Amino acid sequence: MGTSRRWIFAVVGVVAVAAMIFRPGFPLSVSQETRHVFDLIDSLDSNSVVMISFDHEASSLPEVGPLGTAIVDHCFRKGIRIVGLALFSEGTAAGYELINRRASAAGKTYGTEWIYLGFRPQYTSAILGMGEDLGEVFSRDYEGHSLAESPLGSRIHNYRDIALVISVADGSMPTYWVEYAQARYNVKIAAALTAVMVTSYIPYLESHQLTGIVAGLRGAAEYEQLLSAPGAGSRGMDAQSAIHALIAVLIVAGNIQAWRKRRSQTGRGTNQ
Amino acid sequence: MRDRLAIITATLAGAFMALQYFITLPIANSAYRAILSWMQIIAAFAIVVGVFGVIRLHLERIGRKRAGWLYSVTLLAGVLVMTILGFAGGIDRGTSFQWVFDHWQAPMQSTVFSLLAFYIASAAYRGFRARSGESAILVMAAIIVMLGRVPLGEWLSPILPNVSDWILNVPALAAKRAILIGIGLGMVATSLKVIAGLERTYLGGR
Repeated sequence: MGTSRRWIFAVVGVVAVAAMIFRPGFPLSVSQETRHVFDLIDSLDSNSVVMISFDHEASSLPEVGPLGTAIVDHCFRKGIRIVGLALFSEGTAAGYELINRRASAAGKTYGTEWIYLGFRPQYTSAILGMGEDLGEVFSRDYEGHSLAESPLGSRIHNYRDIALVISVADGSMPTYWVEYAQARYNVKIAAALTAVMVTSYIPYLESHQLTGIVAGLRGAAEYEQLLSAPGAGSRGMDAQSAIHALIAVLIVAGNIQAWRKRRSQTGRGTNQ
Repeated sequence: MRDRLAIITATLAGAFMALQYFITLPIANSAYRAILSWMQIIAAFAIVVGVFGVIRLHLERIGRKRAGWLYSVTLLAGVLVMTILGFAGGIDRGTSFQWVFDHWQAPMQSTVFSLLAFYIASAAYRGFRARSGESAILVMAAIIVMLGRVPLGEWLSPILPNVSDWILNVPALAAKRAILIGIGLGMVATSLKVIAGLERTYLGGR
C-alpha cells in the first residue's frame, strides 16, 4: 500500500471522527421530496394502515435505519397502524427490531397497533399474492400468531386495506413494488432509499407510479427535522458533510499534482 | 425429453400469466392464485438447493486447498453456527441467533460497506483526473453533486444544491431514462422469446 494511500485513509478516519465529536451542525433545508412523503403520512387518518417493507441488507443499515426509524416514529405519533414485513431475508430481523424498539418507546401494542409479518421468498409472487389475499401469503405473523386471530391482522385482507406501502430499500425492490403492486392493484407506493439509488427512481416519481421518495442519510435528517426530533440521520450529516468536502479537496489536489507533474515533464521534454 | 417438458411448462406458465391479466373469469383468478402459491413453494425449495450448492462448492474448495480456502472454512463455520443456533434456540428476539445477527453480522457488513468511503477518497485523489474536456466536466459535476447533497454545500453557497439537483434531474436522469427504456424493451423481448421457446439459457446453457 502506497504512503499517500495510508495517509488518505488516516485523514478520512480522523475527519469522520472529528466531525462526529465536534458536530459543526450546518443548517439543512428540507427537500420537496421528503416534505411530500411527510405530508402524505401526516394526511392519513389515525386508523389507517401503512405497510412498511424492509427490503435491504444488513450492510446498509446505517443509512436506511435512520430513514425507517423516522417514518415509523411519524406513523406511531399519528396513531397510524403499521404492518411490517421483509422481502429480503436480511431485512427481516432488522425491520422487526426497528419497529419493536420504536413501538416500545411510543407505548404501542403488538397485534393491535402494529404487527410484523416476517419474510417471504420470491418477492414477485409475494407482492402479487398480497394483492389477492394477504392471509394466503402470510397465514401467521413473525411471532407465530395466526393472522386471522390478530386484531390488526384480521383487518387486512389485501392492498385495498392499506393506505400506503413504504419500501425501505437499498436496491431494486421498489421497482417490483411499482410493477406488481402499484400497476396491478393501484396501491400507493413510497420508497425510503439509499442515496445512490435516487436517480433510478425519479422517473417513477415523475410518472406518479411512486408516490414519494425519501433518500439517504440526508432524507432521514430532513425527516427528523420535520418531526422536530433529531436522531441518527442528523448526527450522520456532519460526518457526511466533512467527508464529501474532503473528497472534493482530494480530487482538486490530485488534479493539481497531476497537472504540475505533466507540466514539469513537458518542460523537461522541451529543454532536451 | 426433459428439456422439452421444461420448455412446454415455461411456455404454458408464461403465456397464462400474461393472458390472465385480461381474463376476469373466476377460474382464471383461482389458477393465478394457485400459481402464486406454487411460486413461493418453489422459491423456498430453491433456497434449500442454493444452500446445499454453496456448501458443496466450498467443501470442494477446501478439499483441493484452492486459493482462499480459509475463507471457505469461515463461510461454512458461519453456516453451521447459524443453523445450529436457529434450530436449537429459534430466531425470535432475544435468541442467540438474533444476537449474532445484531452484534456480529450487521456491524461486520456495515463496516465493509463503510470502507467504501476510504477507498473512494483514495481513488478520488489518485485516479479522478481531468485529462480531457469531457473528463473535466465529469470532475466538476462530481464535486458539485457531492457538495450540493450535504448541508455544508448549502452553507457554502445556496446555489450549489440547485445546480446539484439540476445535474441529477436533467442530464443524469436523461441517461437513466434511456437505460430504463432499454431494460424494459429487453425484458419484453426476452419474455416473448422464453414463451416462444426460443430463449433456453434457463435450462443451463443446453
